[in-house]
Amino acid sequence: MPPKQRIPASTGTTTTASTPARSSRPSSSGTDAQAILQGIYDKYVSKTPQRVKLLDAFMAFLVVVGALQFFYVVLVGNFPFNAFLSGFSATVGQFVLTASLRIQTNPENKAEFENISHERAFADFVLGSLLLHFFCVNFIN
Amino acid sequence: MRWAFSSALVLVWTAVVAAKSFSGNRLLVVLEEQGEREKYSVFLEDLTSRGYTTTVESPKADKLSLFRHGERAYDHVLLLPAKSKGLGPALTANNILEFLKKEGNIIIALSSESGTPTAVQSALLELDISIPADKGAVVVDHFNYDATSASEKHDVLLLELPGAIRSSIKNYFGGDGYIAVPRAVGQVLGNESPLLAPVLRAPSTAYSYNPKDEAEAVEDPFAVGKQLNLISTMQANNAARLTVVGSAELLQNKWFSESAKLAGKTIKTANREFAHKLSAWTFKETGVLKVGKIIHYQDEGKSKKMNTSTAVPENNPGIYRVKTDVHFQVEISEYSNDHLIPFTPASTDNIQLEFSMLSPFQRLNLSPIAQTANATIFGVAFKTPDQHGIFNFRINYRRPFLTNIDEKRQVTVRHFAHDEWPRSWQISGAWVWIGGIWVTVAGWLAFVALWLWSKPAERSVKKTQ
Repeated sequence: MPPKQRIPASTGTTTTASTPARSSRPSSSGTDAQAILQGIYDKYVSKTPQRVKLLDAFMAFLVVVGALQFFYVVLVGNFPFNAFLSGFSATVGQFVLTASLRIQTNPENKAEFENISHERAFADFVLGSLLLHFFCVNFIN
Repeated sequence: MRWAFSSALVLVWTAVVAAKSFSGNRLLVVLEEQGEREKYSVFLEDLTSRGYTTTVESPKADKLSLFRHGERAYDHVLLLPAKSKGLGPALTANNILEFLKKEGNIIIALSSESGTPTAVQSALLELDISIPADKGAVVVDHFNYDATSASEKHDVLLLELPGAIRSSIKNYFGGDGYIAVPRAVGQVLGNESPLLAPVLRAPSTAYSYNPKDEAEAVEDPFAVGKQLNLISTMQANNAARLTVVGSAELLQNKWFSESAKLAGKTIKTANREFAHKLSAWTFKETGVLKVGKIIHYQDEGKSKKMNTSTAVPENNPGIYRVKTDVHFQVEISEYSNDHLIPFTPASTDNIQLEFSMLSPFQRLNLSPIAQTANATIFGVAFKTPDQHGIFNFRINYRRPFLTNIDEKRQVTVRHFAHDEWPRSWQISGAWVWIGGIWVTVAGWLAFVALWLWSKPAERSVKKTQ
């Protein structure tokens, strides 16, 4: 809950906030690596909009699921190869679609996607995802 | 019209049934001197009683011809020895071979006394059967001779009826008793021809020798021991049969049930029985195989898992899929004297089925699965190979003394249709990836729900600004 409350404060400055964030790192934390990581994490938690965080969480989840499938094919073998292809490409494709949604809806990129509303981007994402799932379920037979 | 045709068919059928031979009953006996006929009367009488219509002709007769209008004029020929050196224009070596090509059967009886006509000699040489070139050569054995009739010359051999030449070959000439083989002309068979088979071999103590030679000891004999064949046969690829009987006297009345003396004990010769068996085989009364119905079908029971159709299997379909279970059945009969009986191969022999495209992908022993009144049903079940193309069910069965079987049935073997592959969940190896897809889909749904849920927060932020 606390980060949610912070969003309204930061959203107004998100476009300009990235440049000072870089310069502030060496000054605020010392040489301690843990402090650096802590700083990054704190910045991320405090400065990132909630929707982008949601996108990031989903993408991390996809990376984990894809990596598990890949380790399985390395360890056990690829017998129904089309099954591996469709299972793995489902995660990869979903990751790509989510990444593009993240690019289009990130407030930092607002200047580049002026004429694409968030609703439009989300609708594209949903349509693409449904197509992808349809393809994967068909391909695995 | 149709009725007339079918009654004609019945007439033909009865005519065929009357003959005991599988191929026909017109027999030509070539005999130079009609006076000699008496000597063979019992043998010829036996042949007539078995349904042959016998024509006795002299080799020099004008009207004698093996062919009429380009076809065989006779089904079988019995060529008895002639005194003269030539056999005349009707019986050249070429004519004899041509007769074999047209599926005629021949018994050639040789005699050491009268010599072998050149036509016969060259015809035999063509078939890779060699006989001594000089007239008068006889097979002599100082151990197995008849002491009553040839106590000095030792040229009347007394031999047991022959056994099977190999354990995997059926014997059509066996039995109990002894055959007297007087003054035989030995034959040597070439190694190259698979069509030749010996019926009666000389014992290992026998040798071929010409009594007219003045030499003290036999030098360089024509052949010795088991190399010498007293009776040999050739069965051509078209199943025409030729038998060379080394001693024509073997077929004469006076040896048919003569009492003879072998090594002190008196025995009775079984020549009549043996002559019967020999002529029955040569004239296709025995050892003729006939293929009946051939059935192959897909075994739905075993491959049901892979096949969705519930129809009753169709017999002899033109197409199969790779990796299906197929049953193959064939009826094989053997003609025995006057009727068809179920064929049983020798105990160590097997009929084999090949499933081949260029080369056999399967070569399987057929095993007897049932018997009807006059046929054995051989069958085998197998799985079609993982290779699509045009295949043949092929039975190629060639054995000495049996007519050849070469049957082919062509079928197409297709690959899997797209809806015949197993579904993904039937393969346990795919479960991980199926899980992967559905976890992704579930995560996506949760994400979409969360996204829509959290939307108003941002809107309110924008509005407050």
